[in-house]
Amino acid sequence: MFNWPGMEQMRGVLQPFVEGVVSGTVITLAASAGAFVIGLGLGIVLLLARISPLAPLRSFVVLWVSLIRGTPALIHMLIAYYMVPAMFDISISPITAGVAALACNTSAYIVEILRGALGTISYGQRAAAYAMGMRAPQVWRHVLLPQVIYRAIPPLTSEFTILLKASSLMSIIAVPELATVARNATLQTDLPLQVFAITAAVYFVLLFCISAASRVCERRVSRMLPHGH
Amino acid sequence: MAIDFSIVREAIPVLLEGLRITALVSVVGIPIGVVIGISAAYAAQSRTLLRPIALAYVELVRNIPYLILVYLSFFGLPKLGVSASAMTVAVGCTAFYTGGYFCEILRAALRSVARGQTHAALSLGMTYWQTQRHIIAPQLFGFLIPPTTSLVIMMFKDSAIFSVMSLPEMTYQSNLLTANTFAYVEVLGATALIYWLSSVLLAGVGRRLENVVGRRTRTPDVAPLSTFPAKGKGQLS
Repeated sequence: MFNWPGMEQMRGVLQPFVEGVVSGTVITLAASAGAFVIGLGLGIVLLLARISPLAPLRSFVVLWVSLIRGTPALIHMLIAYYMVPAMFDISISPITAGVAALACNTSAYIVEILRGALGTISYGQRAAAYAMGMRAPQVWRHVLLPQVIYRAIPPLTSEFTILLKASSLMSIIAVPELATVARNATLQTDLPLQVFAITAAVYFVLLFCISAASRVCERRVSRMLPHGH
Repeated sequence: MAIDFSIVREAIPVLLEGLRITALVSVVGIPIGVVIGISAAYAAQSRTLLRPIALAYVELVRNIPYLILVYLSFFGLPKLGVSASAMTVAVGCTAFYTGGYFCEILRAALRSVARGQTHAALSLGMTYWQTQRHIIAPQLFGFLIPPTTSLVIMMFKDSAIFSVMSLPEMTYQSNLLTANTFAYVEVLGATALIYWLSSVLLAGVGRRLENVVGRRTRTPDVAPLSTFPAKGKGQLS
């Protein structure tokens, strides 16, 4: 049956794991943050393509969003790490492949979030900006994008928590992040319950803090935005 | 790089065999999860000890990666003296996760039905459960179907994670095929395509249901903006 080793003994066994948790958490956070920033940039470009007057660009984004939302994130990892290098005859490090996969994955969700936020900005603002003689890039730079990003903050933070959870899938391609550290530690210590419970707790704390921050953010944003526009 | 279609032709039957397991896990796990979610949503509405338990459950589901839950159950349960097959763990994890998310969806839907209706029904002498059955439940479907479709697609896709415990579902079959043939482009391409077509199909079914239900029931005045609204607002009591 279940055998809890003594507290001292367990601490000794888990010592290397506890040290690894720190580096794993750092990699998890850094990779998620990096993927999110790249995904946000990609998302903005895709948003511009999605509402451009060129039909092929628009259909490309629609297809991109549908393809990514219709396939598992795990498959994206495998595609980035195995399929893309095989296609172009290149080699990619696990971390690059992992971050690229996460960034592409999140970009499809971000473009829809941004499109939703753009939809809440009344057309009159655009019309007014053009009437004042601004050109399209100026309208985007000074009028639309700041508001879109601002309004999208709450859904974007929740997308970030989803991304952080999905980052655990990078363990499939052996990126040394938190889930990989945990998996390796169970192989060494044979204490899967303790190791994965600690890992789950670390993820819980990280994600709980982010969602708490996002709730504060959301309250601020909704207080600051004028109603109706 | 040229695509070898003979490999694709050989891979597809194997992948479809895997898709059967993937579908089986979803077909069994998701309904169980919906039942758990309904219980959790009503528990979260009660003023008993069940409320904090249900809320803690939802927080656990929302804040722990699926992969870690799968690892914890698959490698941890045997240490607790519970022997469970990969299939059981897969169904259990699907149900556990679906339950948490469906609870949130249902809570959002319950909040969307005007609170005045509950008060009106109660003051007409209906009991709590009569109110739920005759007044609230018929109005919920319009709110429930779109987010539930997304949830079903999400759980269907995320079942790919069960490949880590060697459950012979589609991703596992795909991994075996690539390990044997090294035909990453063909096999992974075919796998992604099958997942995509299945998701598109599920989304289409969701849209059809939405139309059917939309015709039968009065559409809600305000569409739910988000599946997961901020918590603690306007609790229906």
